[in-house]
Parts: sequence; C-alpha cells; structure tokens
Amino acid sequence: MRDVEMMTGNTAAAWAARLADVDYIPAYPITPQTEIIETLAKWINEGVMKAKLVQLESEHSMLTAAGTASLAGARVFTSTSSQGLLYGFEMLYNIAGWRAPMVLVNVSRAVAAPITLEPDHNDVLSARDSGFMQFHAERCQDVLDLVLMAYRVSEDRRVMLPSIVNMDGFYLSFTREPVGLLDKEEVAEFLPPYSHPQAFKARRHVVKGPAVIGGHLYTFFKHNIHESITRAAQVFDEAAEKFQSITGRKLEAVEGFLLDDAEYVLVITNSFTTTAKRAVVKLREKGVPAGLAKVVMLRPFPAKIIVEKLKNRKAVAVFDQNISQGFGGIIYSETAAALYHVKNRPETLLSVVGGLGGKFTTLEEFEYVFSLLANPDKVGAGKPLFLFRKDELRDVERAMKLAGVEGEM
Amino acid sequence: METRFKTLREFPLDEYLSPGATMCAGCGGMIVLRIFHKALGGNVVIVNAAGCLTLLQVYPYTPLKSSWMYTAFASAPAGAQGIRDALDILMEKGKLPQGEDLKVVVLTGDGAAYDIGLQSSSGAIERGLDFYYLVYDNEAYGNTGFQRSGATPFGSSTTTTPPTNLNPAGYSGMKKDLFEIWRSHNPPYLATIAPSHVVDMLRKIETASGFRGPKLFISLSPCPTGWGFDPSETIKLSRLAVECGVWPLKEAVYGKVRHTVVPKVLKPVEEYLRRQNRYAHLFTPTRQEEAINFIQEKVNEYWLKVSATEGHEVIKPINLAEKQTE
Amino acid sequence: MNLKSIYPPHGIRIYWGPMLRIRFHGRGGQGVKTSSRILGRAAFLAGFLAQDSPIYGAERRGAPVVAFTRISDSVILERGFIFNPHIVVVMDESLIGDWLARPLEGLLRGGVALINTAQAGAPLEVSDSHVVVRLNITDEALKIIGRPVISAPAAASAAKITGLIRKKQVLEATVEELTELGLAEETVEKNLRLVSEVYDMTPHHSIKINEEPSRSLEVVDLRSDRVVFSDILEVGNAYLRKTGNWRVFTPVVDYGRCTGCMVCYVYCPDSAVKLDPDKKPVIDYENCKGCLICVLECPMRAITFVREAKAYA
Repeated sequence: MRDVEMMTGNTAAAWAARLADVDYIPAYPITPQTEIIETLAKWINEGVMKAKLVQLESEHSMLTAAGTASLAGARVFTSTSSQGLLYGFEMLYNIAGWRAPMVLVNVSRAVAAPITLEPDHNDVLSARDSGFMQFHAERCQDVLDLVLMAYRVSEDRRVMLPSIVNMDGFYLSFTREPVGLLDKEEVAEFLPPYSHPQAFKARRHVVKGPAVIGGHLYTFFKHNIHESITRAAQVFDEAAEKFQSITGRKLEAVEGFLLDDAEYVLVITNSFTTTAKRAVVKLREKGVPAGLAKVVMLRPFPAKIIVEKLKNRKAVAVFDQNISQGFGGIIYSETAAALYHVKNRPETLLSVVGGLGGKFTTLEEFEYVFSLLANPDKVGAGKPLFLFRKDELRDVERAMKLAGVEGEM
Repeated sequence: METRFKTLREFPLDEYLSPGATMCAGCGGMIVLRIFHKALGGNVVIVNAAGCLTLLQVYPYTPLKSSWMYTAFASAPAGAQGIRDALDILMEKGKLPQGEDLKVVVLTGDGAAYDIGLQSSSGAIERGLDFYYLVYDNEAYGNTGFQRSGATPFGSSTTTTPPTNLNPAGYSGMKKDLFEIWRSHNPPYLATIAPSHVVDMLRKIETASGFRGPKLFISLSPCPTGWGFDPSETIKLSRLAVECGVWPLKEAVYGKVRHTVVPKVLKPVEEYLRRQNRYAHLFTPTRQEEAINFIQEKVNEYWLKVSATEGHEVIKPINLAEKQTE
Repeated sequence: MNLKSIYPPHGIRIYWGPMLRIRFHGRGGQGVKTSSRILGRAAFLAGFLAQDSPIYGAERRGAPVVAFTRISDSVILERGFIFNPHIVVVMDESLIGDWLARPLEGLLRGGVALINTAQAGAPLEVSDSHVVVRLNITDEALKIIGRPVISAPAAASAAKITGLIRKKQVLEATVEELTELGLAEETVEKNLRLVSEVYDMTPHHSIKINEEPSRSLEVVDLRSDRVVFSDILEVGNAYLRKTGNWRVFTPVVDYGRCTGCMVCYVYCPDSAVKLDPDKKPVIDYENCKGCLICVLECPMRAITFVREAKAYA
C-alpha cells in the first residue's frame, strides 16, 4: 500500500474505519453507500482487519445495534444513505441520548418521493437536531480525515456523543482521487483507544435508557447534550491541531477560500464546493473580490466562526443543496440567525437553492450567483433563488410530454 | 435430560428484582420475569422494547439488580445483537476479560414481539444470535390502555375492538401463531410458559441454557387491568388457561415440538372466559353461543391435532349447552 | 349562582376572572380522572367555564395519581398541574402520609380537604389553615354498588363543596360520563343513587378565598461542565419507592397454619414476600401492593387479609 492511493470516497471511508481499528460494524445495503460495507466485509473476511461485521435486517436495527454495541465498549462504525437514514431516524435521537460515541458515515442521496439516487442534503440535515455531530466532506481525503477526527471528538470524555460524517453520493462516493493514508503509529498517536466509563459488564451493573418522567429531568439531560455538543467545537479544534502536527493536513470547522479580502462571499458545504472554488478563482482573475466559506462542521453549528468570516462583507450568498419546504434553505436560516446580532453584518444575504437530487450545478451558475451579489437590487430579499437552467426546463417539458402530461410550463 | 427442578422445593432463592416496581398489582408479566431471572442468575443484561415493563425503570429507580438497556419499540433484538457482538469481539480482541461476559436477554410484550418488532426478532433468530427472548404476552397493547395487538385472540374486547351491535364478538380475527412463526426459523430452543406452571418454566429455562443460539420463550401474562379480573386471580387465570387448553405448554428443540403439560380432560373454555371482563360481552346481556363455541372448537381442533401427532390422549370437554338441552 | 357571589369583585381584573381549582388525589384504577371529568362537566352544565385534565405518569393501577378541575365564570388562563388548590379531594386516605403524593400540599388557607376515610367522624373540622371534610364514601359505594367505585360520588361531594353546582347537574354529568365510558345502564343507575346519597351527606360549606397564589421563582444556570449520563448505577433501589402505600387490603400470615411450602413466595409478583430461615414467609409491608395472590394461592389457607386502614394523623 502506498502512502497515497487512488480511491473513491467510499473506499476512503472504509479505510478510515480500518485505520481506527473499529471493533464492530453493523451494516445494511443501500446505494450509494454499499461499497463501504462491501470493502470492510472483504477485509474482515480476508483477515487483514479484526472486527465483526453483521448485516442487520434494516437500518433501524442497524443503528440500534450500533448504539448498544458502543455502550458495551466497542468502537462502532456504520454507514447509510438517504431513505436508510430516515428509516433508522428514531434511533439517532436514542443513540445521542444514550451518549454512545459511534461514527456514522452518511453518503448523501436525495430523499424520495420521487425516488432518485443522486445527492442532496435533506437526508443528513434532517438529523441536525438529534445530538449527532456533523462533519461534511468536500473531497475524498476529507472523508478519511473527518472519520478519524470524528472518533477522537466523539469519544472525548468531555463530549461522548455520536458523529455523522457526510459525503455526497456519486460526486465523492464513486469518484476516485488521491487520498493520503496514515500509518499505524500515526493513528495510535492521534486516536487513543476507546473505552466507555459505564459500559455493560458483569462486574458493575448499569441501567441505560430508563424512562424519565418529568419534564425537568428530561430538560436537564437534553441540556447536558447541548452543552456537550457545544463544547465539542473546542475539542474539534484541539484534535485538528494534533491532526495537523501528525499529517500536515489542516482541518477547520469553517474553511475560508480566498476569503481574507473578499467582498462577495459564497457559503457552501460538501462536494459542489470544488466547482464553486473554481468560480471564485475565475472571478478573482477578472478582479472581482470573491471568496468562499466552506462549512465543514454543521453541528455544533460554528456560529462564532461564521460571524468572524462574514462580518464586514458587502454581500453573502448561502448555497443550500437542500430545501426546507415552505421556508427555503436550511443553512441560510442558520447563517442568518448567527448574523442577526452582528452590527457590521453584510447588507445582503442571498439564499440560493441548488443541486437538489444531485442536479448538476455548473461553474457558470456559481458565477451567476456572484454576479447577483454585486447587484443585490435584482435579488428578492429573503426569497430563495432556485438555480435552474433553461436547457434543463426544456428537458423537463420534453419529459412531461412523453409522460402524457398536458400543458405548457 | 436430568433436571434440578422437580418440585417447588428447588425454587431458586436468589432474588434479582427488588420490590417497588410500578407495575400493576398482580401483574402476570412480573411473576414470569422474576422467576425467569432467578433461573438465569445475575450476570444478565436485559434488552427491552417499549411496553409495560419499560416502566420498571423510571429514573432514578430500578428494581433490577442486573443490567438493562431500553432500545426502541421495534428493535430490541437488534439491541441485543449489538451488545452480544460487542462483548464477543471485545473478548476475542482481548479488550474484555471473559469474566465480564453477560447473558443477553430480550424482554418485550406482545406488541413488540408479534407486531412492530417481528422483523427484528426474525433477523436475530435467523442469524443465530446467542440470546434469550422472553415475551410477556397479555394479548393486547397493555401499556397504552389495551388496544388490539397481533396477539389478541378471537372474541376479546379491546379498546380498538369494542363489542357493539355491529361487531358483537369484539375482535373477529385470530391470534397470530408466533410460536410457529419462530419455529419456522428452526431455533435451537423455543417454548411457551405460564406463570402458574413454575416447575415447567424452570425446567425449560434450564434446558434452553444448554444451547447456543436463540432461546425463545412466550409466556402467557394474565393482566388484571386489561383483562378485567381481580389481581389476586392472576395465577388462577393462568392455570385455567392451561387447563382449558387455551394456552398449550410446549417446547420445540430444533423445531421438534413436544407438549410438556397435557390436560387429560380439557376444562370448557367458558370457565376461563367467564372470569374476564374482556369476554363479558360473550355472556351478557345475551349469550353469544356461536362465538363461544367457535373458541371451544378451535381449542378442540388444536388438541386433536396434538393427540394425533404426539400420541397424547386428550378428552375434549362436554359442551355445556348440549348438556343443558339433553 | 355565580362565582362572583363568592368572590366579591375588587380591584380591576381585565383578563382574568376568579377561579376555583380542585385537585383530585387517588390511586390508578379509582377513577380519579373520571371524577375530575364529572365535576368538570357538572360545572359546565351549571353554566361555568370548566377545564379538566389528568396527569399521566409511569404509575399503574394502585399507584398514586392526580387529576384537576378548574371552574370559572370567565376565560381560564391556566393549564396543567394545580399547585394551589381551593379543594383537594383525597379519594384514598392512605395517600395523606405518602411522601410522593402529598395531597394536602399547596392547599390554600381556608381551602377544603375532602377526605374519603373509613373512619369518618364529625364531617366538618375547621382549623386555622383549612377545613377538613371526612366522609366514608367507600362504605357507601360498597353498600350500593357492591364494589369500592367512588369516582362519581367523590365528584358529587366536591361539587357540593364548591357551592356552585346543584345535585341535578352532577347527576346529569354522571350519566353522560359513565355512559361514555361504556358502563351498563344498571351500573349507571346504581351510581346515580350513590351520587345522590353522597351529595346529601356532604356538609354545606362556602369557600371564601381571595388569595391569588403566586409561586416564588429563582432561575438557575444549568451549566454542569461535565457529561452526565442518564444511567442508573444504584441497581435494585426501587424498594425505596415503598409501593406498600398502593395497598387497599393487607395479607396477614397465620404462622400456625403455615407449612413453609413457599407458594406465596414463588408467586409474589413484587418480591414482597421474603423467607425466614425456616422458609416461612415474611411479608414486606413497606412494598406489598396487596394483590392478594398469596391469599388465593396458599394451599393451607394460612394467609388472610384485612382492609388497610391508615388513620389520618
């Protein structure tokens, strides 16, 4: 094995689990995640990885087993996508409430109906209130790095909460690029062994998940999760510093790109960031002061950092690859809330919704968004702008005609 | 097989449940859980799905002296899978001493076992998970106020199958045969038990503990609150259910069935039905002869089949109505 | 009849009229919720605005439960738990000393404690702090219905104490509520007789309270600076709940007849039967819920039972 190898996002996720020496992998197939568990199953069966992989009968069961195994003291890895995440959704709140610090890789895929395969982030963002931390990847390298980071932050005794590492289906999951690995010693230096202070064992019995009757007790425990996940931001920074000292790779909760002197800023997450960066470069070549802020850590929400990065800018657009029906972009609303109390906040905050169901967002579309920022008068305040091209609409009309649906758009 | 349980004299005296649980007075499920735990010993983690017994643990209290994990309504067997697998792999990797091992027990009511968790239990059994599953079957969703479940028998009144003029019999479907569903997975051990028949229960748990893999128990759990009888009659109702042939006591080792308690003469089901408010509509204001006979016929058919396959002789009860007309 | 005859208007209350708050304490299965509903409906039928609600907890049949009725002639701007009732209805006297139920807690000065007790003496006792009304409703119920069902008569008694609701309205409310519960006509009839009886035997009393209760408030910072698991490590601690207060009937062992066969020990659902060195049962009265399985199953008939009669101290 080379230090750096061509691999897909899925393979990078599997490698992260292997490097983390996970003990247990409850699994269930779903496109586009399946390659992760296939890779792990192969390694385990070949004997190059010592762990137990069990295929459950649903994601609901898979997540249940993941949570309980973590409470029994095993380091647990699992992965899913889209409908699978939603099928097991109930367990996300449970796992966080149990304080089971497992790591789940979500390979984003838009949620049915209509059923589809390509990504947007409504699946993973539905989990944003659950108590799972969320780290979102732009590149295959991020997948590997963020999974290792997630274990370190999750298992920290000041946190003890689960994490989701998100990558886009297809754009990362099936896309190969060079990914750097860590050797055993490096991992050992970065990631201490996992133990749970109150794991199931014969010597000391413990009751987990008891009913809590009375809102005050419930509130107390929920607040404790909130406090812990908020504290995780600090723990993430410490871990990132250590990670950089070992690998030389810098990980940030919010990563700026040509941001320092930027007047027009795009806020974005996940794999479309790459194309958006290209647009920023192009605009810079034309002398436009464009910049980009990539949100890597969605939970805990890095409001302070976002404020630091966005204050004093002329205009900001938030690119949401998701839609909160009846409202608009989810990250837009969170960004707006973060900026509310800031005096020198940008005058224009534009909400852009694009890439739903993996709809390709072109370089030109990102350039268009920046052009709107320079002419904010053209933008309807507070109204989400749906990026949709004319050629795409023509194709929709053609398809509707073939489907026998009458009428013009 | 040699057993250490021949009479109540051998009843285990170690106690794993403290008093003070908030279950209804006279709860049949509690009797079974207490005895079951005695037979298993103390090194146990119980994995629970939503149901009455979920509220054994209300923070900060627990009657259990063993470990407990509440999971979710649909996935207690998967929760057991996670714990069992974790303990196994941690011991295999040398991260956990063998002495720290626990027996993993799934404990659910019939709602979880027959309905919402059926998929999860099927998966766990099929994978050969080494665990015990104890169902306390009170034949309805007791914890939410007695709604019909897949375990509700024909003729039972529940809050979602109320007997009315349009629907005089109460529930008009049939109780799901979970024993046969589970048996089709060919688990090493499967049995029905009843709180009244303690020695039978202890022997079965003892037999089961000799197997690796799924060890499954479905227990009748007379429910004073839901069934409508005086809490003192829990054991009496359990005994009647067995004696009337309504609740057959049996076991299946790798699928081979054997009845462990065979009534020589079946008592009429009416003796069992009459003592419970959930069947009161079958008797007042007018006697629903057809429905009562239907229940009796189903019981007779069952035992005729048992007689034919296992060679027991069971005499069906004299039909009381026929007797009256003679 | 109007609440304002009790509460002479004073000051200006723009949004909020005077209100009577009634809190019912009983055990699961005693019909506490039904009682609060009969009172609520009776007040409604009497032309008032009313609100009734139960509290659902983890407790089951036999465990202490509460329900509430609010009665007002103007809009009711409250919901949920009643901390400072004008009337508490204690449907089971054994609850008086229960540290979890605490039925008299928060009863307003001049308020009424209506207690169902086997030892009803003088029906009305007035102290500095409140008025105590003791009635033996259970015995009346046993006499008329044959079972200790007291939800309707308890509501009737409370209705009379409010001074706002006539017997006719309670009877009407009883019919409607019990019919809705699916009770047989014959049972409803018996309940009406019981309601009538208990309404009559309840003393006249007019509540005079002008106090608008307010609770002191101290808001705290929840910060704990550490991870707190909702785990229970003190296993087997439920005996501290002392479920013995659920009991209506108490099993008593006749050691002369007991052979130490262990049947009572085997079948006790609550581990409340311990064994002495001779394997004879010792009943843990702090926790025995009084299901009486042991009484029924004892082959020697060596266990009998008596009605639990805790005096109100």
